[in-house]
Amino acid sequence: MNLLPIAGPRATWTVLWRELRRLPVLSAVAALVITGASAAGLVAPWALGVLVDDIAGGGDRSAIARVVLLIGLAAVLAGVLTALGVTLVARVGETVLARIREQVLDRVLQLPAPVLEKVRTGDLLSRVGDDVASVAAALTEVGPSVLGAALTILLTVAGMFALDWRLGLAGLLAVPMYYLALRWYLRRSAPYYKQERVAMGERSEAIIASLRGSATVRAYRLEDRQLEKIGETSGTARDISITVFRLFSFFSSRINHAEFTGLTAILVTGFFLVREDSVSIGAVTSAALYFHRLFNPVNVVLMEFDQIQTAAAGMSRLAGVLEIEPAPEPPASPDPADASLELQVISHHYDGPEVLTEVSLRLEPGERVALVGASGAGKTTLAAIAAGVLAPSTGVVKLGGVDVRDLGEDRTRAQVALLSQEVHVFSGTLMEDVQLARPASTAEEVEAALDRVGASAWVRALPDGLNTIVGESGHPLTGAQAQQLAFARLVLADPPVAVLDEATAEAGSAGARELERASAAATAGRTTLVVAHRLTQAEQADRIVVLDHGRVAESGTHEALLASGGRYAQLWRSWTGTSTPGQPAGRTTPANAST
Amino acid sequence: MATGELLRRAIRRHRGRMTAGVLVLSLHQATEAAVPVAIGIFVDRAVATGRVQPLLWCVLMMVVLFAVLSNAWKTGARQVVWAIEYETHLLRLEIAQRVLDPRGHRTGLRSGELLSIATSDAEKAALVMRAVSMGAAACTALIVSSVSLLLVDVPLGLGVLIGVPLLVLGIQALSPLLTRRTSSQQEAVAQTTALATDLVSGLRTLRGIGAQHNAAARYRRSSEATLRATLRAASTNGLQDGVTTALSGLLLAAVAGVSGWFALNGRITIGELITVVGLAQFVAEPVGTLGYASQVLAMSRASASRLASVLSAPPLTTTGTSTTIDSTQPLLAVEGVSHGTLSSLTLVLRPGESVGVLCYDPRDADALLTVIAGRAPKHTGSVLVGGTRLEELDVDAVRRTVLLERHETDLFEGTLRSNLLADAGLERVMTAAGAADLIEELDRPLADRGQTLSGGQRQRLGLARALLAEPPLLVLHDPSTAVDAVTEELLAEGLAEERAGRTTLVLTSSPALLGKMDRVVVVSDGSVVAEGIHSELAESDPAYQEAVLR
Repeated sequence: MNLLPIAGPRATWTVLWRELRRLPVLSAVAALVITGASAAGLVAPWALGVLVDDIAGGGDRSAIARVVLLIGLAAVLAGVLTALGVTLVARVGETVLARIREQVLDRVLQLPAPVLEKVRTGDLLSRVGDDVASVAAALTEVGPSVLGAALTILLTVAGMFALDWRLGLAGLLAVPMYYLALRWYLRRSAPYYKQERVAMGERSEAIIASLRGSATVRAYRLEDRQLEKIGETSGTARDISITVFRLFSFFSSRINHAEFTGLTAILVTGFFLVREDSVSIGAVTSAALYFHRLFNPVNVVLMEFDQIQTAAAGMSRLAGVLEIEPAPEPPASPDPADASLELQVISHHYDGPEVLTEVSLRLEPGERVALVGASGAGKTTLAAIAAGVLAPSTGVVKLGGVDVRDLGEDRTRAQVALLSQEVHVFSGTLMEDVQLARPASTAEEVEAALDRVGASAWVRALPDGLNTIVGESGHPLTGAQAQQLAFARLVLADPPVAVLDEATAEAGSAGARELERASAAATAGRTTLVVAHRLTQAEQADRIVVLDHGRVAESGTHEALLASGGRYAQLWRSWTGTSTPGQPAGRTTPANAST
Repeated sequence: MATGELLRRAIRRHRGRMTAGVLVLSLHQATEAAVPVAIGIFVDRAVATGRVQPLLWCVLMMVVLFAVLSNAWKTGARQVVWAIEYETHLLRLEIAQRVLDPRGHRTGLRSGELLSIATSDAEKAALVMRAVSMGAAACTALIVSSVSLLLVDVPLGLGVLIGVPLLVLGIQALSPLLTRRTSSQQEAVAQTTALATDLVSGLRTLRGIGAQHNAAARYRRSSEATLRATLRAASTNGLQDGVTTALSGLLLAAVAGVSGWFALNGRITIGELITVVGLAQFVAEPVGTLGYASQVLAMSRASASRLASVLSAPPLTTTGTSTTIDSTQPLLAVEGVSHGTLSSLTLVLRPGESVGVLCYDPRDADALLTVIAGRAPKHTGSVLVGGTRLEELDVDAVRRTVLLERHETDLFEGTLRSNLLADAGLERVMTAAGAADLIEELDRPLADRGQTLSGGQRQRLGLARALLAEPPLLVLHDPSTAVDAVTEELLAEGLAEERAGRTTLVLTSSPALLGKMDRVVVVSDGSVVAEGIHSELAESDPAYQEAVLR
């Protein structure tokens, strides 16, 4: 499977940097303010050291007042700068994220057809869903605290060196220990985290399979088998989680060792420095308090390291999407002259054998042609090629006399629409769903389109009419209703040519007839190529083309084909149950059947 | 089971580990509180005096302190995490067991919601143990800090002990505002993410009508709105951070001022001054932890109440204990049943007979299936299986007799073979179900619960599975809607052969299937309007003709 690209670190930074440079003033001010906030936080421990010295040196009340005032002012300043800094940093980060997620979705929606054909929907979904969410969560939840903590650490180390370089060096003894602890943990935990994610996935899979299939579980008395599977997967996930935590607890212990080393080193160094009068007791106190203050920020950075890594991985996957070049717009070419559709000697194969062989077909403007054939005969592939969604291996598709390759995506789509077997109801109001085809359309136009496809009766009966929320978490629609919405979108999009590959079989016989009427109404006046899943769809067409193993077997009107007694006549008799079944010729049903 | 009981049971079930965990974690918090005290002692006894012997003692003190601190957390947290993980597992199994009860459950929840209860809510409910252990440990830390402070100086200690909690509570008073902003921000983020995944799921539909630009524009609007909500939440967040920083700094100034003055007067030593200042900073932590523990507890209660509502949901079907199923009686006799759109429908299957039911309105078919499955407790009339009323029969006795394979085929993880549940006569039955093409792929692992198979392949596998189970009565609902005409014909023949001599009921409008049935019953407006064999009905009844000859 061809996966979407993942950007390298350099390319990821380029993407981030490009967005940051669009907000030069805001970014600079935010950086300055948040640094100022961390710096103001350093005043208190230093002032406490001064206080210790003042008292040890027998200072007076005014000295205490000065220190109190200093700490108070620094506190107020730190408060103001923190409030401002957190807000500004969030503004920069969130704006950059919003721009990137918009660009990513835009790029995904306009993936060049050859790329789209190869990527898995799951990968696309996880880019625009999980990856965006993990970057956003890191940015909002841990971003400010990690940034603040990192700055505090840097400035505090600087502060310790300002007190006395030897005290600073003593504190730095902790750094290699922190580093080693983190490296130890990341190396050992990475494979466990991976296992944990897999185990949790398997656990959810076992639960959801049992839940979704609960009717089948009950009917076949599979409760014990499914419960055992859930117990097994849940137990595995539990044991891995406990192991991961065990590892984490060792990591945490190592961090404590680093804390001990740093703090004791400062105090012991301080002891000798004070003894030879190089520094004051106050300076040692300040240094120790500085270091104690670092416990929390260092923990924040270390503990959130995982989430930072996840977010970084998500970010590089987002940047990867932006690396895909959009399909180039072809040079200027004449517009289609009329609503004709012509397929010239089309052959096509996916990764395996040929599924279409030298198919030629011309639809005159306004003509309605039905494609008939057993599963796997190549109907759906031919429909996608005719609509310019799939590029054939060899052969030419012409719309109104112009090669689709010269038209480009947007002009092709203005000329021909494809209604595929995938019926999707978009989340939101029903009106918004239909309006996706033409956002400028008014409520009246939407109603007229729904009316034309025979949907207005049930739409009016919905709790909020056109404003009813439909889609995944909204009012459930039947398969037939969802299909009618697709037809209404087609009416609004109003292309001269339509290719229909929709499955009406699921609707039951009564619904199917309604859908056939809707289909006829939506395509009236358009050049139409219909993939006939039910033979009545063929019966109503001007011309029927029978595909057999990727070749045109027969072509003609319903009556003519019935009279000729060939494949079509055979299919018709078998379908309507008016005769014994057909010859074994149509029995092979390849695994990638399109039904 | 009530919410509180569920939480108490969680702690009871793991009381050994919980007790150990709480004790050791409390010890850890006490040592954390002791760190600033130790710094004070170190400066006072060693640094200020310059004598070597106290220095050695002080270093030893630090070694012991950190050794206890580090090992206490490691040991205590492991006990609690172990208890949480095991409890989560137990709760999850309990939910699964309840949901898969053969008598069904009257929760009205969809599978997505149940999944989230079995995973996320089970995890959150078990966190009650984290809340309790964290809270207990924080209380210990508070007690240790208080005692240390009071030992240094009573008025000063009281001042800190009153001032710090007041400060923390004051800051938490801001949090409802923050919570509101944050939850509206999270909602906006979730909506934008949902919109993105929704649009990408419908990507091919969008591309088919060239609506991708419109979709991108819609997403941009949603993303902008989310950005605005996020920024509002961020400024509230910043405000809270700022206020916390400023107030705790001011409190520190006050404590430093007072204790500095005391030290100047000789009332406390310099080391004690450092201890007081250090503790004043530390005390905010356990107070904050208590607040956090109460939030975790609230979250855990909310999840526990969702678990409790599923666990205490009544079963959907009424079942009895009788196991008397007389095979000489009709295996299914629906007599004068009204339910949903059905009005006093009567349908009796003679032993060994195959019957096709054609419902002009699909709702009639759904209602009939609900009644046969025993999921319509309020129907009138009677449903007899082998001469005994369905409600009086033991649920397993019914399930051994009647098998209902639904229109949408549920498959499970595993291979095609493991999904078919039986091995004897596998190839023969696969061929009968029109699934001969899948025989070579029997051992292929099934990705995504068979969602990668076509609808037709799933339907044919479902039929094969049902035929292999060889139930005395097989009920099928539209088993061939996604199958092409040629295969449908094969499948209809295979079904008739496989079920010869056994009782079969097929709800369908397919002429190929109806043509192979011993008898066809036509249902319109909830009751039987015609009966006969397919070819006669097709010749004589125009309404029937239109319904089946598509």
